[in-house]
Amino acid sequence: MDFRWHVIQDYWPVLMSGLRLTIELTVIAVSIGTVIGLIVSLFRLSKLKPVGWLAKGYVDFFRGTPLLVQILLIHTGLPPLLGIPPMPRMMSGIIALSLNSGAYIAEIFRAGILSIDRGQMEAARSLGMTYGQAMVNVILPQAFKRSVPPLGNEFIAMLKDSSLVSIISVQELMMSGKIIVGRSYRPFETWIVVALLYLVMTMTISQFVGYLERRLGKSDHSE
Amino acid sequence: MITVSKLNKKFGDLHVLKDINCRVEPQEVVVVIGPSGSGKSTFLRCLNQLETATSGEVIIDGVSITNPKTNINKVRQEVGMVFQRFNLFPHKTALENVSMAPIKVRKMPKQEAEKLAMELLVRVGLEDKAAQYPDRLSGGQQQRVAIARALAMRPKIMLFDEATSALDPEMVGEVLEVIKSLAREGMTMVVVTHEMGFAREVGDRVLFMDEGMIVEEGPPKELFSSPQNQRTKAFLSKVL
Repeated sequence: MDFRWHVIQDYWPVLMSGLRLTIELTVIAVSIGTVIGLIVSLFRLSKLKPVGWLAKGYVDFFRGTPLLVQILLIHTGLPPLLGIPPMPRMMSGIIALSLNSGAYIAEIFRAGILSIDRGQMEAARSLGMTYGQAMVNVILPQAFKRSVPPLGNEFIAMLKDSSLVSIISVQELMMSGKIIVGRSYRPFETWIVVALLYLVMTMTISQFVGYLERRLGKSDHSE
Repeated sequence: MITVSKLNKKFGDLHVLKDINCRVEPQEVVVVIGPSGSGKSTFLRCLNQLETATSGEVIIDGVSITNPKTNINKVRQEVGMVFQRFNLFPHKTALENVSMAPIKVRKMPKQEAEKLAMELLVRVGLEDKAAQYPDRLSGGQQQRVAIARALAMRPKIMLFDEATSALDPEMVGEVLEVIKSLAREGMTMVVVTHEMGFAREVGDRVLFMDEGMIVEEGPPKELFSSPQNQRTKAFLSKVL
């Protein structure tokens, strides 16, 4: 086979700007998703039934439909629904990824909170703490720690899934690849490098999560 | 100090507490004994509403805690509880375990709360463990920290829920010693226990529970030496 690797050299700046946007998208989406996830997980555990249903409906929708569909739905449907002008593509992408990530992270936090022994809440409440004080001071710090490994997985999943916003032409790494292929007609060289770039990022994250786990493990004082 | 009237608790079809009536006077030490599943722990947990009563009334220091309008958090600040499985906060040191509630609930300045926590750790003989996390402590030490944690709220009443049942035999003594010292100082206490020797020594009054009812009660000397009820006799013959 005849490979033309110089294509990669020629289009390196395009790849790098795509890479940067992919990282930005992922970091922003997972950050917003974490905030959404925390709120939604607490809603899901709420004693008020309608609040719980609302949270469950949200989680079911975003976990039960394809992210690709969600992106298109939000980009084309949200502005007319809210009566606002069309949104920039990047904004639609961030909203879709954040909402999707929020649903998964809500389940991660919910599992983390439920894994904490019931006696912890009882001990906190018996000291006169309100439900909120017990959550903030006793339950959540322990639940967060247990949520680190699955959060790492979610971050990796989101990094890869962010490629789907190329459907609305947000020029992240995947879209950069498409553009390069369109101009250079060298699909294989392009996609193998795009794949490697994703791989480098995901490996880096999993290394970091592993390190974090070991560090938390060292100071893991749970029974 | 505590008045319980016609207290009922049902878990679904299971009738765990049946029309319990009882009073605990200030500075009194009431020991609750009885076979497993007799409802003694549920009874104790109703006294700070960790279990919501199905019907009946519990009055703590003049406040009806079964009344839904009562701020239960306020009342719980006055009622310390010690659990069978310690339930220390594993992400906090011994000192932080003890100082947390005064800081968060009583809004005590951190320094003052830590000073108080240290005094209490000294009192339970664990000042050298202040900086340790619970997983570095033995069961007996953990339970003593748990007692200090409850005392940090300066409660008027202490509830002990089988506080020595999860301990290795050689650690039971050190925990009972702390509970005894509280009794000597006049703390009002309700103690659910399997330690009959302790019940006899420390209890002002013993309640014998079976099948969700208080079957017999009286001063420990009388109840242990000449039980009146058949079920009390049967139980005591097995455990003494």
